[in-house]
Amino acid sequence: MIIQPLKIIAAILITGIIIVSGCTSTPVQQEDEPTGLTELRFGYQPSTHQIAYMAADAKGWWLEDLAPYGITSTGDFQFPTGAPEMQAMLAGEIDVAYVGSTPPLSAIDQGLEAKIVAGAQTQGSDLVLANDLPYESPQDLVGLKIATFPSGTLQDTVLRKWLQDNDIDPQEDVTILGMGGAPAITALASGNVDAVFLPHPNPTVIESEGYARVIVQSGDMWPDHACCVVLVTQELIDEHPDVVEQIIRTHIKATQYIIDNPDEAAQIFSDDIGVSYNISSQSIQDWDGEWVSDPNIELATALEYAKVQYDLGYTDKLLTQDDLFDLSFYNKVIAEMDEE
Amino acid sequence: MGQFLDIRKRILEITSVASAIIIWEIIARIINKKYILPSFLEVVTAFLELASGDELYRDILTSLNFFVIGMGAAIAVGIPLGIMMGWFKTFDKAVDPIIEVIRPIPPLAWIPFAILWFGLTQYAAGFVIFVGAVFPILVNTYTGFRNTPRVLVESGKVLGCIKNRDLIFRIALPAALPSIATGVRVGMGVGWMCVVAAEMFGVRTEMFGLSTYGIGWKIWHWNSLHHMDLVMTYMLGLGLIALVIDRLFRYIVQEWWLKWQTGVVV
Repeated sequence: MIIQPLKIIAAILITGIIIVSGCTSTPVQQEDEPTGLTELRFGYQPSTHQIAYMAADAKGWWLEDLAPYGITSTGDFQFPTGAPEMQAMLAGEIDVAYVGSTPPLSAIDQGLEAKIVAGAQTQGSDLVLANDLPYESPQDLVGLKIATFPSGTLQDTVLRKWLQDNDIDPQEDVTILGMGGAPAITALASGNVDAVFLPHPNPTVIESEGYARVIVQSGDMWPDHACCVVLVTQELIDEHPDVVEQIIRTHIKATQYIIDNPDEAAQIFSDDIGVSYNISSQSIQDWDGEWVSDPNIELATALEYAKVQYDLGYTDKLLTQDDLFDLSFYNKVIAEMDEE
Repeated sequence: MGQFLDIRKRILEITSVASAIIIWEIIARIINKKYILPSFLEVVTAFLELASGDELYRDILTSLNFFVIGMGAAIAVGIPLGIMMGWFKTFDKAVDPIIEVIRPIPPLAWIPFAILWFGLTQYAAGFVIFVGAVFPILVNTYTGFRNTPRVLVESGKVLGCIKNRDLIFRIALPAALPSIATGVRVGMGVGWMCVVAAEMFGVRTEMFGLSTYGIGWKIWHWNSLHHMDLVMTYMLGLGLIALVIDRLFRYIVQEWWLKWQTGVVV
């Protein structure tokens, strides 16, 4: 009488296999053939750290520069933090990500096939404390609630490392709450957290409201620490290396443009994100960040982040330079530009 | 014959679960991307690693703490309010429009107010769970009272049970108990589903110092780090704990609360 259940299990298994084979047959056939790429999808965040992307977009440079390579349209997705941005890349929804240098670590550790091909910016986040709380040294933070971006993001990693460096256990001595920029600001304004550690322009936005002040800049926590980078999928690297090279060229051009024209950079950011020009301009004056395009500048600290995340148990393996970076494109582009 | 049917039923259940696991394993192996769908074996490995430390138990205790706060409040508010609305028509007419406006608002929509009113505390999480659980309890209590057979009420009156208090507690409440039990059971299901949402914004219990624990919180934490095997482990944990709570409640209801019902239908 146990034949009937066996029949049921066999029927379910056969149905399952048929469904699965139906779902997976198409990608298998296309695996080895490079596709004709006509659209590029970018991911970025509403931060002054990533104005280079916004500037190239506002000037129409992405489309203009990539048209000779067959790109007829570009699209972008804005993410509150790096974690959902990496989730989108894992799901194959974006090809290029302007993102902090730490979210790719856990994603690559878990199987994302992508590489950092250019730098975007260093430092540029501030620890902001409510006005009614005193601050003389990091020890004053013991027992407080600090909101920052979610686990594995650059802000989370830098904050935890800095606390540890100052003999404060980030697990036991303080409460670190992961959330997006807007909820963190609301939580600070309503008194539900005591401090926030966020990228610009958030610290300037908070200071302009008058209920909290910047106590430490991230460059003081970790001098010259890497921040945002340009990450591209391995598929793009393997199948369209010429497109990757051009992305880097355009990124270098946009980065130099915003360095030379900070007022226009503030206006581009204001138009893209919707914050006032005064706030974005003030943020660019206040921050300790620096826009860069050379990934070599970010290499050393990115590898330190990999060590920190490995020690925190965020990644299963200690990631190496080969796992994270492909410097060949940037070095080739720079060599060609020098020749020109 | 009964024993044979029992064994056959168990074989069917085991076959069904085993089939689901085998299909899951096959699909995961074909996809071969842990971050899209971790395999059953990867989830089991992640569970064993978690279970070897004390973190998982802290997460479960934290979530249960929020759940007990929310359910306790939902029962304390839902049953008395349902009784009042079910028994007193004037009260029902006065309160019903307010309930009907608030009832369709999803528990998630209350999160900003939960933080503002209760801070990032266990009571904020409990409040979100309360919002999810209170209405099924209230509505079922109300329905149980409205459907009290008239013959029972009339018989009570004939036998000298005249005061409202006596009629409610001696006649209507026992008659409404099956409906109230259903309401509590449905409320527990909805309330448990709200645990993930309630913990999403980083509330913490005072049980474990300054650290943040909770099954829902860990789902978001590991999701941020793309450890989908751990996300799946905690998700299945949510399901299994809900199953245990439900079975426990059904046992208590059948063996204690509604034991008198045995033999009424079968």
